[in-house]
Amino acid sequence: MPHIFRDYDNAIRHLQEYLLTMAAVTRQNLEQAMQALLRSDIDLANTVIAADTDVDELERKVDQTGMEILVRFHPVATDLRLVIASMKISTNLERISDHAVGIAKRARKIHRSQPLQEVQWIEPLYTHAYALLRDAMDSYTNHDSALGQSLHAKDKELDRLHKQLTRTLSEQLEKPDGGSASWLHLIFIARSLERIGDLSVNIGEEVVFLESSRDIRHEHRKPTPPTQPPSP
Amino acid sequence: MVTDLSDNPAAPMATAIHIRDLCFAYHTKPALHDVTLDIPTRQITAFIGPSGCGKSTLLRCFNRINDRIPGAHLTAGSIHIHGIEINRPDIDLQELRRRVGMVFQKYNPFKKSIYENVVFSPRLGGIRKRAALDELAETALRSAALWDEVKDRLHTSALALSGGQQQRLCIARAIANQPDILLMDEPCAALDPTATLKIEELLHQLKKHYTIVIVTHNMAQATRCADLTAFMYLGKLIESGPTLQIFTTPNNPQTLAYISGSFG
Repeated sequence: MPHIFRDYDNAIRHLQEYLLTMAAVTRQNLEQAMQALLRSDIDLANTVIAADTDVDELERKVDQTGMEILVRFHPVATDLRLVIASMKISTNLERISDHAVGIAKRARKIHRSQPLQEVQWIEPLYTHAYALLRDAMDSYTNHDSALGQSLHAKDKELDRLHKQLTRTLSEQLEKPDGGSASWLHLIFIARSLERIGDLSVNIGEEVVFLESSRDIRHEHRKPTPPTQPPSP
Repeated sequence: MVTDLSDNPAAPMATAIHIRDLCFAYHTKPALHDVTLDIPTRQITAFIGPSGCGKSTLLRCFNRINDRIPGAHLTAGSIHIHGIEINRPDIDLQELRRRVGMVFQKYNPFKKSIYENVVFSPRLGGIRKRAALDELAETALRSAALWDEVKDRLHTSALALSGGQQQRLCIARAIANQPDILLMDEPCAALDPTATLKIEELLHQLKKHYTIVIVTHNMAQATRCADLTAFMYLGKLIESGPTLQIFTTPNNPQTLAYISGSFG
């Protein structure tokens, strides 16, 4: 429903536009960082590192606009949740972009030291992490609380893949002839992708809060009550 | 026989005002439709809604001050205060209005001294002893957070006080009657922000002893002050509930549209 005060609508629209732009740049940074890694493309890695300042600037704009809405319009209900959720989502996006930059920097280092054919092992993990980020932002754009809530279960698969890959990479690192720092870089890249999954889950949780006013954070970490032993 | 509300003293109870299916009209024009609501004891309940929605009319039903308006009449329903139906013909209106005090939008102290403003009504009620009146005045002015500001000039004109002080004097005047319920119709509408915050802080103190019902157009005020908020529109009670719930997750789309300043 439009607001009577048109400036209010404009400010809300700007907030959403900044956040969606930030999400688009972040996704692009992640895509390009992985391409830089997989194709040993140094120029692309440098592009990602430079583009991070755009994400930082957009994070500032989201916060400034959100604060302006809080001060000027005293939002309530859906509008209030939109401002809070958008500001928190932007923090998660900024961290994701930082991870993308980390991946790009490590891609550059791997290329400069000892390029490995095995960088391709990272791809399934990346595909999964990218899908989580895409779904998280789709849940925001499409007001899809169910999609937002579903991300936690999908993140478990990412965690499983991460554990598996880390084990494999560690084995390579421990080999007598495998002491290359590149294996260590790949372990850290895998860790970044796993964190991107967690941050995407955070975004999904914010969308659930935004759309249905439910706080589902930390729910999956609640201890399950001990099961009673079967009575004799 | 005239029913005296004091026969039923206000013991702490869950509901101070019990409104059921209330309909009210000015001549033939309906102003309230089937309003049903329980107003809890010693809490602040805020009525919000656009101008003309009936919130002030409803407030004035609680001490039957509407009776003074020609053509204003109840068409159906009931209001029980502390268990007594206040629309019964045998209700003692003076006693009702003593028990259900009212503070208006525009502060309206009498053209008398500060002291005389506070003791005016108790004196009319039969309290004559100076010591008793002095004690009553001090208690009421302290309760209204005004004593420290006026104790050295009690016998100067009330009209020399600032707007915020005059409104707190009006609250003291209502408190001097030892009411159970305080009705406030836009009590801060004519005050500056500092005076408004002083009144709001005062409300938090007063609710320890009184049931407070406030009508406000200022939604930030409702969120700061009220324990419960009721939204009215076109003479109907659309939604009521805990203030935080009304302002974060209202159930009714009309409530959402109003509180978020939308139209649709």
